[in-house]
Amino acid sequence: MDKPDQRLFEADLASAEFRAGAQKGFWGLPGTDILAEQPEWPLRILWAATAPRTNAPDRFYLHLDLSDYRTAPPTGTFWDPSTNSTLEHNKRPKGKVNSRFAKVFRTDWEGGRAFYHPYDRVAAKGHPQWATEQPGLIWDSNHTIVDYLEEMHSLFYSGDYIGL
Amino acid sequence: MAGEAIELFIHSQGAKPRVAVAGPHEVLRDVLVRAEVITEGQEELLVFVGESEEALNEPDETEDGEDGHAPADITLTIEALELHRHRHVHVHKCKRVAVEVHFNGRTKRHRFSPATTVSVVTKWARKKFKLDAAAGAEYVLQICDSSKQPRPSEHLGELVEPPKCAICFNLVKEITPQG
Repeated sequence: MDKPDQRLFEADLASAEFRAGAQKGFWGLPGTDILAEQPEWPLRILWAATAPRTNAPDRFYLHLDLSDYRTAPPTGTFWDPSTNSTLEHNKRPKGKVNSRFAKVFRTDWEGGRAFYHPYDRVAAKGHPQWATEQPGLIWDSNHTIVDYLEEMHSLFYSGDYIGL
Repeated sequence: MAGEAIELFIHSQGAKPRVAVAGPHEVLRDVLVRAEVITEGQEELLVFVGESEEALNEPDETEDGEDGHAPADITLTIEALELHRHRHVHVHKCKRVAVEVHFNGRTKRHRFSPATTVSVVTKWARKKFKLDAAAGAEYVLQICDSSKQPRPSEHLGELVEPPKCAICFNLVKEITPQG
């Protein structure tokens, strides 16, 4: 039987918010041509589309640990479907120097195993001051995977994203 | 469209959006009744089809502009309303949502369709305050007197509670994570 956090996640995948974004091509689950089977819970792989940039992919895959989903924020990093492993740093999206984008997807922190963002469990735990500095981005149990993906979408479609 | 049923996203005030499946020859009113968004004979609600982006075409010099997004005739079919293209249906008591956005001591106002996303309002505000595309990307809308920053895909109609058809935002810069 699915665990409660897994059931909650599956319900959020069926929500209008998630499906509307998927229908617009903003995000989704990989097809079976890319991923035969999702990893065992609490791990899940999703993708987020990107604005067009020269020689850059049209989407990035996210390998997320969703333990205690909703109560705890996700954590994760980029995934390479061609190797079925963590995406190498030189294949990751890059942002303008000192931009918010560059900070969120920095690879010089925690070896790039998590995103430097208040919605990432590892980053949030290590930066309790963010809760007061960025109160609009405090994860609580009212947040869903859609909040997380919308943040990704906003970043990937911002002018600060420059490609690879 | 080939006669296939499609998924519609139905938005209404004070409720999370929901998914409804409808065939091309179904009348929108019947779909909304089946989804329990409206009841038979309920006339006071306005129904908008699609997501309004009109404000993005507003000339920069226009002050206190207003969208022209008209409510739909819900006696028409899904096909006639081109919902295979529009997908989103908004049911609301407000014909317009009066928005004011504050930034750097200035205020810009516009009366939006309730079927307007926060993303569109944000782009409109960045344009009206003449924030260039690169710098402007870091500015987001925050509801006045709160720390709530609604998601870009949320619609104005989901944020207001009639009879108050108005909302106030501050345009704030997202903080770059540090530390």
